Amino acid sequence: MTLRPPPLALALALAALGVPAALALSLLSGSAGWGVPSSEIFWLIRVPRVLAAFGTGAALALAGALIQLVTRNPLADPHVLGVTSGASLGAVLMLVVAGGVPFAAETGAVAGALGAMTLVFALAWRGMGRGLAPAAQPGTVIVLLVGVMVASAGGAGVSFLLAIADDLQLRNIVFWLLGDLNGAASWWPVWLALGAALLLAWPRAQELDWIARGDAWAWTLGVPVARRRRVAILAACLATGAAVATAGSIGFVGLVAPHIVRLTGLRHARLLLPFSALFGGVFLVLADTAARTLIAPAQLPVGVISAAVGVPLFLTLLLRRRP
Amino acid sequence: MSLRLERLSLNAGASATGRALIRALDLEVRPGERWVLLGPNGAGKSTLLAALAGLLTPNAGRVLLKERALAGWAPAALARERAWCPQFWLDPFPVAAWETVACALLAIDPRLDAASAEHDARAWLAEFDMAAMADHDVRRLSGGERQRVALASACAQGAPLLLLDEPTSHLDWSHQALLQARLHRWSNDGGSVIAAVHDLNLAWSLATHALLLDGRGGAQHGPRASVLQAAPLSAAYGVPVSQREEDGTRWFRIDLEHPA
Repeated sequence: MTLRPPPLALALALAALGVPAALALSLLSGSAGWGVPSSEIFWLIRVPRVLAAFGTGAALALAGALIQLVTRNPLADPHVLGVTSGASLGAVLMLVVAGGVPFAAETGAVAGALGAMTLVFALAWRGMGRGLAPAAQPGTVIVLLVGVMVASAGGAGVSFLLAIADDLQLRNIVFWLLGDLNGAASWWPVWLALGAALLLAWPRAQELDWIARGDAWAWTLGVPVARRRRVAILAACLATGAAVATAGSIGFVGLVAPHIVRLTGLRHARLLLPFSALFGGVFLVLADTAARTLIAPAQLPVGVISAAVGVPLFLTLLLRRRP
Repeated sequence: MSLRLERLSLNAGASATGRALIRALDLEVRPGERWVLLGPNGAGKSTLLAALAGLLTPNAGRVLLKERALAGWAPAALARERAWCPQFWLDPFPVAAWETVACALLAIDPRLDAASAEHDARAWLAEFDMAAMADHDVRRLSGGERQRVALASACAQGAPLLLLDEPTSHLDWSHQALLQARLHRWSNDGGSVIAAVHDLNLAWSLATHALLLDGRGGAQHGPRASVLQAAPLSAAYGVPVSQREEDGTRWFRIDLEHPA
């Protein structure tokens, strides 16, 4: 099977058409049906919500692409590795302890994401510092298993805190375990984190590609692997934390978006990172549009839609993989 | 460019508690030399190559490259002096064969423009008879084809010292011959090679020097004729090896009918 060069012009054209189309569709559909709403609803409700959805999806997809590269594992993403549940736990904990402090949820979520990621690496990989694997076979399976354990522990922790705290400010359990844009308070923190994460990771994206092909090999090519990996993980945790603080723990965007982008032929990290973010943003905007219109006037949590689309997509990808 | 080992000791996994593989080894590899690394499975060939590449910190002693200890080298500077080709590959994501080789070219010279990186990468693949498969996804290549991509990328790196971990393990006869010819040319051009191999006959024709590990800390080394002999080989591998000489070429086989 030959690999064709990345179809950059086509991808740019598709993005230039697809992103505005998705945004327009989402902005023009509401619980009352299709059309242009009053300017109050449009500017105070619809636009912030669409921006929050786009930023959250983009941040999760970027985090997924980064985590897949540095763990060298195509099945990894912030949700599978327990980073989103770590972020949820951190956010809920901060809201319980210091609810009134500005950006309590955001700070807690980023700290929780970093904590969960560090835990996964510490347990699954022998040390993040100079943890090069000359044998070229880092524990691909063990990373996933440890991640699933950390995710369960985080989920249990969130449920426990919500059960004992019983505070309206903490929002509901669905928000923290499944994700819901209905609770999005402000749209811009996630965009800020997304920009910071891209700034951190993108300039050295090519070296992340090499690390994905072999961390010890990349080191012998002169790449300071441990430092690049730490920066990529920091960027991924920043993006995941902000996404969770905005919309709770939404799964599958981070896993599916990079794979879809790769399937189109945009497989180099320099293109993969920004286009995953674009695709993730569009995906979540459309998922959220479906979530708030399908059973209007009631709303579905967006996590339901992203899982309903993401699970079959993921299984198809998994079963297509030939050994 | 020369590589010097000073009282080098290595344990399995380079851990303090691991089994001792190499004890206090002194050795020098000079430009133009081709060394084969021999020894039974688990004797420490890969561990030694990883330590020579700078990936592992030895348990004792040190490795000097150009009279400077490996620990004092920056990874980027080291990349211009030695290339390391591992035994196993895990390719999690799709990538074309030529792009893998282009990595090595770009790592050494980040200012190289994309077109010449691609041109040079394809030229290196052609050297290893992989020109026709330059656009193939490395995950779909056979073991021998993947190995040739890895070897092309190690050579493309342009570092004078090649550290090759079982470079012939998946190669058919014609490509073993191709690799041998390439490595002879490499050392004639002033480069040096250290390669772990299992085939003693291949070792003889490939090498100028040999290092034989016994897996218990002992090692013999020197010009190939002094190390590639029936007695030390029999002792290291634990099977009776017999040798025969013909027109200056030494042939080895396992002599199961006359146990040592």
